This record gives sequence, structure tokens and C-alpha cells, in this order.
Amino acid sequence: MAFSRPNCIVHTMQSIRRAGQQSSFVSASPIPTQLLQRQQRHLLSTTSRESASEVQAAPEIDFAQFLQTPARIIPASPAYFSGSPKFIDYLLDLERIQAKYAPLPLVAANKAPRMAWFKLPQFRDFVGEQVPVKKYRGLIKILQRLNRIKPNVAPEEVRQTLSRFLRPGNPYGNKPAPATVDEMGRGRGYGKRKASSAVVHLVEGDGDVLVNGKSLAEVFPRLHDRESATWPLRCTQRLDKYNVWAIVRGGGVTGQAEAITLALARALLVHEPALKPALRKAGVITVDARRVERKKPGHVKARKMPTWVKR
Amino acid sequence: MVSPFCWGCLSQLRPATRALTGPAALPQAALFHTSSVRNAIIKKKPIPHDSKGPRYREGSSARMKKKKKPVERARPPAVGERKALRKRIVLSNPNALEVQDMQDLSAETMVDARLRGSVVGLPVPMLDQLRAVQAFKPKQGWSIFRRPGTLMRKETLEMARLFEKIGGDGQVYKKILTGERGSGKSVHLLQAMAMAFTKKWVVITVPEPQELVNAHTGYAPLSDDEPNLYIQNEATAALLSRTITANKDVLSQLHVSQEHPALKKAVQPKMTLQDLAGVGIRDPALAWPVFQALWAELTATEASPAAQQKFKARPPLLVTVDGLAHWMKGSEYRNTEYKVIHAHDLVLVRHFLSLMHPGDKKPTLPNGGLLLYATSASNNPFVYGFDVALDQLAARQAGVSPSSPEFPQPDPWANADQRVLELFRTGKPTSPNERALEIQNIGGVSRTEARGFMEYFARSGLLRENINDEWVSEKWTLASGGVIGELEKLGKRIRVAA
Repeated sequence: MAFSRPNCIVHTMQSIRRAGQQSSFVSASPIPTQLLQRQQRHLLSTTSRESASEVQAAPEIDFAQFLQTPARIIPASPAYFSGSPKFIDYLLDLERIQAKYAPLPLVAANKAPRMAWFKLPQFRDFVGEQVPVKKYRGLIKILQRLNRIKPNVAPEEVRQTLSRFLRPGNPYGNKPAPATVDEMGRGRGYGKRKASSAVVHLVEGDGDVLVNGKSLAEVFPRLHDRESATWPLRCTQRLDKYNVWAIVRGGGVTGQAEAITLALARALLVHEPALKPALRKAGVITVDARRVERKKPGHVKARKMPTWVKR
Repeated sequence: MVSPFCWGCLSQLRPATRALTGPAALPQAALFHTSSVRNAIIKKKPIPHDSKGPRYREGSSARMKKKKKPVERARPPAVGERKALRKRIVLSNPNALEVQDMQDLSAETMVDARLRGSVVGLPVPMLDQLRAVQAFKPKQGWSIFRRPGTLMRKETLEMARLFEKIGGDGQVYKKILTGERGSGKSVHLLQAMAMAFTKKWVVITVPEPQELVNAHTGYAPLSDDEPNLYIQNEATAALLSRTITANKDVLSQLHVSQEHPALKKAVQPKMTLQDLAGVGIRDPALAWPVFQALWAELTATEASPAAQQKFKARPPLLVTVDGLAHWMKGSEYRNTEYKVIHAHDLVLVRHFLSLMHPGDKKPTLPNGGLLLYATSASNNPFVYGFDVALDQLAARQAGVSPSSPEFPQPDPWANADQRVLELFRTGKPTSPNERALEIQNIGGVSRTEARGFMEYFARSGLLRENINDEWVSEKWTLASGGVIGELEKLGKRIRVAA
């Protein structure tokens, strides 16, 4: 039988196709239209060309012509298919610059100018891509390395590149003028702790302390509070060198005492800015920003849940 | 047949709920009832504990019964025992070191300016006298030292000089002491008493003014003529008792020189003043007239014509009151109409308060003397009128004219007590020997005085610190400018090495 061999099947299929090509559309469309007629004509012509030359090789690609009329859009960045091309471009650019200026002298990390790099969400907005945290950290590392190049030898290219990654407004750029002692010789400091806030006016004197116009023992019956309120002066051995005049509002006794501590330390820094390391060591520079945790619905307090009751 | 009920009404009747019809244990409502009476959930019978099944969320099933400890029901302390313990005054601590070369208070040392800032001891024989006038208060920390001593501060030396002056020409000084808590007002009074005893003055004190107004002692109308004034016989007798115990030496040397028509038979002409006061102590009904008689004797400048004894000059008087604010308001006593009796209507109180006014022709204390009335900062009832009156007094002393706008005026809406304001509107004294009422604020001690005080602690073995100016200066600030009570607390604090 003819179907028993594969060669036979090919032959059969080819013969069927040829027959179909010749007789297609002629009998299929009951209403012949102009369009149809044109198609028919076109089809007929192709079949005639195919029949004229059996297999023809594609012409040689002329690349000069190809650039002018591309057949498909070519991505601008080679990293287009990486998912975050802009970020990678930036990263590559920075790596290039880092390698280029690697031999330049560096300064210590704490001596480098303080820069406000983009925070991650801002950077994501900036590049419009979902940059992973870890990768962004790597980028920041390069930026910091570039920032450590000695400022007087840092090339313009580095400076311009770095400025592209700065937060707008330059938060560290416009520092407030350091507070000074006013014409009456008072240094002013403001401090907060818990719900209390204190303003301290510090003048040179001999160790008098007035809190809200009252003496220290009247306001703070507990010795511990008195000690903590005067701690910045005590730890710098200046308790008998200054007079303190404090106004403190809000909160409880301990909060008020510790608000005064903070305000007093800041007022002391107005008089003697060089005391900052000593005061930091004494723990009166760091702000304790904790506040009372809010109560939540369904809870008795912030965290406490009602007692479990068996039905 | 026509039903007696209207069909419409019957159809609107709700059938009683299941709960009603159920168990017979329920109280039966009337069968024909229009409301469901017992819709509430029926309480199940509590299942007895050891019936069956596991019990979850309970304590361990094998619960051990705790053996109850037998409660010791000791008898409560006897009446007055607790108070006696509370008011106990301990003046010596054998564990404390004896401070070497500490001087005693005497007529010479009390005016010695070189002793300023050092602690002088109170002479031991005088302690009984000071105890008798209740000069020591329980919380003043006398019990931590070997023997009682006081700091010679600026105010003390000024007062000593005042004593010299008064002893010389019989002047009268009147002062109200104010100051914050722990600033040493009561101890200032104690120092005054000690100086008065050294100078052989007569000391009359009211150590607890509160006790005269808090209705803890009996009271009675003074007389039918004066139904709005009240005497306190027991309190007066106690005052007499205190006075003669403390001033035995002086009063036993003085004799009755005046006529006392109120005490016709009780007074003999050759009686000493100690015996005279003894009459009032033995018979409290006579206490008030006896007190008046004693006062008349102590303020006499010459004998009455009928006196048979030779007149002996009377010593100056020291009158102290500690805690004046209690006398500036209504007392706890009630009159027959159950109205509050004002403290100024108690004759004893009125007597002491009237001393603040200048005398009519001769000074209030004709033989000279010192009037020291201290306020208290810890046991201090709020009396608005009193505060304003003290402000006015201070302003007058500072030279502010009462007509000037700076002169402190009471808030017209605050309902200040007019009697109190009137009391402090004292006129100018007529006698040159008498001074107007002054107000003296007792503040903190100076740094040098504070250093001397802390050294006293160190030398008594209470304080183990290297006492230098820096350390003292720090404590001085922490004691809010050298408030001596706070310094004492700092001095006796036990420090544990960290």
C-alpha cells in the first residue's frame, strides 16, 4: 500500500497542497467582491513567482542602511533586560569613576564632608525602579568611598556625579548658626523628656538654681531628681560657676527633672561648646525620644489585654 | 355563639415562650399572660467539682490545702503609747563620736563672731529646761549625734546681739519668722530659748499652736459677760506647767507684788511666782485667772502699794509660738449655735496675738523681751488672708506706703479673712523701747557655714567624705542654696561604695 512508507505520506501531502492552492477561494466565496478579487490576483502572482525560482537566499544585510531604518527597537542601555537598567547604569558609571580615580588620596571617614544621600524610597522614585535594599547599600558604599577623596584634589567629574545622588535641599548644608550668649550673658537651652519641656537660662554665677521661681528642694523633694536636674553642671564641675533659671512645664516630677537636664546641657554648650564630648559621655546630649505608648482598642492599656474569662 | 373576647384582641396575644412552659421549678406565671415574664437565661445548676470529666483552665486538680498560719493577735499598744513613741525625743546617740573641742553655748560664746559656722553644744543642764518647753521636735535629727548642738549661723549671732541689747535697756523686739521647709525656723526658736535660759530670762512658749485650735482640749465660755470668748483650762494649765518647769530658778526667786482680785483667797502675799502658777496647775478651773496674774506679775515694773515684799525687777520675757497659721482661721470648736469659733476668740490665742500690737502707754513687755512667732512650712494650713497679711507686713517693712499701688492688696473675690488682715495692721509703737512687728525670712546658710556644719557630721563619724570646698559647694546647691534641713539629709545619707 502507498501509505505504508513515510515517503509516500510526503508525496501525498504535497499533491494535496498543490491542488488546494490552485483551486482555493474560487469556489469558497459565494459573493465575490473587489477586495477578494485583488487578493486572488495577488495570490496568483506569488504563486507564479515561487514557481519561477524555487529557493532564493536572503540578500546581504547592509548595516549602514539597517541603522537608519531599524527593523526592531534596540534598547538604549545594555542592561535593559536586567529589570533595573537605570540603577545598573548608575552603578557601572560609579564603578568606572571609582576605578578611574582610585589612586587619589583619601581623608578619614569622619573628616569627609557630610552628605545627605538619597534615602532608599527617594532613590527609588528618582530612578523609577524597585531597587533592592542590599544593592542600594552597595551603591552608597561607592558614593562614600568617592566622597572620601581629598576635597582639594577631587576632580570635577566626581563632584558632579556625587551631587546627582544628593537629596534636594541639602539638609546638612544649611546648618543653623551656633547659639551664642545674649547681651545679658544668658545661654538658652531647650529640652524635652516624656511629656515635660524645659527652658533653661544659664548665666555665670555662684550656683543658685531656680525652677519656676521656686527653689530646687521645693520643686524636687526627691534628692535623685535634684541631682539629675543639675547633672550637666555637676559632671563638668561647674555647679558653683553658673546660676540656673529654669521654666519647666508639663509631665511629672521625673520628666521635669530630666527635661531640665537636657535643657541645661544645651544651655551649657552655648557658653562652652568644647564641653560637648564630656557632656556626651555624661549622657546628657542624647535625647530620649520615648513617649507614652498609646492605648489600643481592645486592650486595657497599651499592651495589656483583658483577663481571660471562661464564658 | 359569641365569644366574650374580641377576636382581634385574642389574635394579638402572644403565646408564652417555651421557657415559661418548661420546667415546673420555675415560678408559674398566670397561664393567661400577655408578656413573657422570664425570658432571662435560666441559670444552670453549678456542677459539683468532683463529678466527672476533666477540668480545664483551673488550678491543678490535686490542690494542696495550705495550712493557715495561726494569726498572732497581739494586743494593740495602750492608749497614748503610739503617740508617745512618735513624739519621743532622743537627744543622744552613744554610737556617734564625741566631737572634740566643741564649745558650749554660753553668754560669751553666743556673741562670739569667730564661732560663726561652727556647731556649739547646748549645755547639758539646760536640756531639761529645753525639753520642758518642748523646744526639740521629733524629726530634727537630734538622735544621731552624741549630744545636741546647734550651728552658729548669721541669724543666730544677730539674735544673740539682740539679746545683749534687750538685756541692757529693756527693749522689745517682735518678729515673725518665715522661710521655706527645713530652713531652720524651729531651731532658730530653740536657739532663742537656749539664749534666754543662759540669760536667765523667762521663757513662755506655745510649741504646738495647732493643739489649741483642733478641739483636743476642753473649752468653755469665758464668762456670762463675754459669751463669745472661750477659755481652755487644761491647755492653760499645761502652759503654766511648762513655764514653771522650765523657769523654776527664775520664778522661785520672784514674789507676788500685785493685787489679783480674781484670785482672792488662792493668792497669799508672800507667794513666789512658782507657787502662784502651781495654783493654776492644781486647779485647772483657775488656770486662766492664774495665767493672767502670772502675766501681770512678769510684766510689772513696780510693786502695788499694798505689797509687803520688796519689789524685785522682773527679767525680760521670751515668747515663742511655732506654727502661727493655725491661729489665723476658724478653730475646730463650735459655739452653742454650732457655728465655728474663730481662733481669735479663744482667750489664750487672743492673748498671744495681742502681744503683736504695740502697748497702749508702756510697751507690751515693759521689762523688755523678744517675741518670736514662727510660721511652719510643713504643717501649714492655707490661709489666704494670712499670706496677704505677711506680704503687707514685708512691704511695710520695705518702706512701701500702704496707699501706694505697689502695696499688696487682698483679692476682693478671694474672701480674705478681715480679722486676720486687721490683726497685722499694727500701729506705730508709742514707746521708744518698743519696735514695730517685723518679718524675718530665714533662708539658707552660707557656704562657709555649710562647710562647718558638714564637718560636724564628719567629726561625729556620720559622714565619710573628704570635705573640701568643692564638695560642700555641690551639696550647698543640691540643698537648694544651703537649706539646713536638706543639708542634714545629705549629711546623714549612707553612701554605699558602688
